[in-house]
Amino acid sequence: MDVFILLLEGIFVSFEPLNLGLLVFGCLIGLFVGAMPGLGSVNGVAILIPITFIIPPTAAIIFLAAVYYGAMYGGAISSVMLGIPGASTAVATVFDGRPLAVKGEAMTALTAAAVGSFVGGTVSVILFTLFAPPLAEVALRFNAPETFALMVMAFATFVGLGGDDVPKTIFSILIGLALSTIGLDLITGKPRLIFFNIPGFLHGINFLVLAIGIYGIGEMLWTLEETKGKVQMSKLSVNMKEVGRAFGALKKTIMAMNIGSFLGFFVGILPAAGATPASLMSYGITKQLSKNSKEFGSGVPAGVVAPECANNSASTGSMLPMLTLGIPGSPTTAILLGGMILWGLTPGPLLFTQEPEFVWGLIGSLYIANFFTLVLNIALIPAFLMVLRIPFAILAPVIFVLCVTGGYAPTQSLHDVWLMLLFGFAGYILRKLDYPVAPAVLSIVLGPLAEKALRQSLILSDGSMGIFFDMAEKPIAAIIMYIAIVLLIMPAFGPLYRKLFKKAQTT
Amino acid sequence: MSIIKKLALVIVSLSLVAVSSVSSAKPFSPKKPIELIIPAGQGGGADEIARLVQGVIEKNDYASKPVIPINKKGGSGGEAMTYVKKKAGDEHTLIITLNNVLTTPVNQPELGIDFFNDFTPLARLITDTFLVWIATEGKNTQGVETFDDFIALAKGNGLVMGGTGSMSEDELLLGMMRGQFGFDAKYVPYDGGGAVAKGLVGGESDFTLNNPSEQMGFYQSGDSKALVMMTPERNPAFPEVPSSYELGYPDLEYYMMRAFMAPAGVDAEVEKYYTGLLHTVYHDDEFQTFNIDDGKLMSWLEGFGLKDFLAIEYAKHGEIIKNFD
Repeated sequence: MDVFILLLEGIFVSFEPLNLGLLVFGCLIGLFVGAMPGLGSVNGVAILIPITFIIPPTAAIIFLAAVYYGAMYGGAISSVMLGIPGASTAVATVFDGRPLAVKGEAMTALTAAAVGSFVGGTVSVILFTLFAPPLAEVALRFNAPETFALMVMAFATFVGLGGDDVPKTIFSILIGLALSTIGLDLITGKPRLIFFNIPGFLHGINFLVLAIGIYGIGEMLWTLEETKGKVQMSKLSVNMKEVGRAFGALKKTIMAMNIGSFLGFFVGILPAAGATPASLMSYGITKQLSKNSKEFGSGVPAGVVAPECANNSASTGSMLPMLTLGIPGSPTTAILLGGMILWGLTPGPLLFTQEPEFVWGLIGSLYIANFFTLVLNIALIPAFLMVLRIPFAILAPVIFVLCVTGGYAPTQSLHDVWLMLLFGFAGYILRKLDYPVAPAVLSIVLGPLAEKALRQSLILSDGSMGIFFDMAEKPIAAIIMYIAIVLLIMPAFGPLYRKLFKKAQTT
Repeated sequence: MSIIKKLALVIVSLSLVAVSSVSSAKPFSPKKPIELIIPAGQGGGADEIARLVQGVIEKNDYASKPVIPINKKGGSGGEAMTYVKKKAGDEHTLIITLNNVLTTPVNQPELGIDFFNDFTPLARLITDTFLVWIATEGKNTQGVETFDDFIALAKGNGLVMGGTGSMSEDELLLGMMRGQFGFDAKYVPYDGGGAVAKGLVGGESDFTLNNPSEQMGFYQSGDSKALVMMTPERNPAFPEVPSSYELGYPDLEYYMMRAFMAPAGVDAEVEKYYTGLLHTVYHDDEFQTFNIDDGKLMSWLEGFGLKDFLAIEYAKHGEIIKNFD
């Protein structure tokens, strides 16, 4: 019962005028930051840190958490409306959100994104409230072998991503993996694959550069070719019937919500992962387990709900290791952590008992922020839809400019803009040749995480792969590994299984 | 009280700039945001200081333009140093140092970084030290109460050490200890001191050589304990931890410097401006209190003193690297 009293106090704290005002303001900034390609929650929070030195720590964390949160919602907007991922966390939202918008169901996509985000955020904050201390223990036991096993599981789900053309999907995954090894070796620190000695390759290939290139530029080229510039994006009207239809579509997304919320939270609490891998994994697994997995990618609401639910859930989850262990669960929480230290707090196991107002104020504010962003998003949908009424001849240059700034912003190097354009063109060609591009994007995100975990594990085990299958010593890693193997085999037997199953049903 | 002190310092530093302006051209002041490059990931020791410096500057308006910290953690500082080298002459770029600025140019000659000519050292603000940490409930370090217990255990058994990346300070220290005490350990690299601390408490590694602040949370909660601090004297933030001198190992002494450098080829005016700015930050009450509580040593150094110090440290690190394998 103690927890509920503390939570109630926390909610009261976040209703204090200063805190509530900052919360609302933070959500709005977050929405904007998330929706602008290239500006994500990381940049948003980092830019705003200095402002927080003049307000009390509790107000500061509430404000920044609201920005973080709002950005998770905001990213979906440009993913759906423009086809450019607004932030790295919203890349998976493009996969189905964009086709929905093109089909004239942008309303459904935006509603799915907003409601999915709300559900993910709410489930995870409840999990957070109830189980923070034992979950911190889980995060503590989740080390290199466990992380690698989880990554293998993620890759296993991707194999099913590209439809039944498994070889083409594997090819796409390998391209992504190869690109992810460019830069500096994670263990020895030596430069790798620095083509033509161009220093821009030293920081590796930022995955947003690939995602914006493929989805922004590639998509634009594709649309231009298909329509010769005479695009009538879609005829839209916002009336009650539309609204009803949008909400009706959500009924089919219950499974996506479950997967997104729980998987997102779990991935979020693991150190160093964060909302981007969570959203991608959630999409992959939802698709894999869905009855109509073939329709994913052509615009199904569940394909929007899964990643959106997961990224919000993960962003809440990633605050858990930040508060309880003093280690960041995502790039954004790394910056929040820096802020906490500067506000004079010591993140770590004692924070909950030493600074209850701070911790519970933050948790309480997450409930409020969730509710507020949902209302705000639904209310703003008509405004977002206006974008679709803009003629393509005007919209295309705008998208192009947003792509270029989005490619430039994360690393602030022109090198990445050229790369982005190159990827855009390559993505267009791959698409013409009917190669799935999503797996490449996924593997460039997870590649470095997987490589590092693999090599750490192998150092620990003196090079033996047995470390991943040791039920006695590392049961978590072993179980995840076996699940991964099952998932990997599934697509191979999937068509067979479905055939048998259908036959059984019809007879 | 502190406001007057701060004001006085601002006036002093402003007059420093003003005096220098008489001798040469017009005084420098930043015309756009100042990039502060951090050659390490978010959440580590260097990152923390960089953001503290940023915060102190913003809060008190010590600079006319904002400071923007940018993490370039690739390759033990290689990415950051390459970036700053390319920015030669740029008046709005600074880099905060870890000791990797002393080792990376030697370890990665292919980057073509010349430590003495590619940077303009401004000032050293802090030195940080290292401790030998074990987990209170470590399964392989049960019964270890003192540093001598630890050495005895480590000699017989291949312990696992968590560290912050190849050829970082802690791996060099491991090399140093190997020479001095004759034990070896399996070195597993992580992303920054926070992850190292977590790996220790989570039971993946047996010991770490972390900074005070990196392990502070787990130290305060009692999940990990320190056996020795690698300095001549005890530190007030860790009153019960003996110094290496006390234990009779004066050779076990090692510091990490938190200094700031500008790119090569900046005007003397620019150098003076930033040194003055850092000096103001150094004497800020909040900055002082935070660092002392965090177990750091306040150690301002600039000008020729700093250049000498860097030359000595560079040579010392070269020696450690040479003896490494």
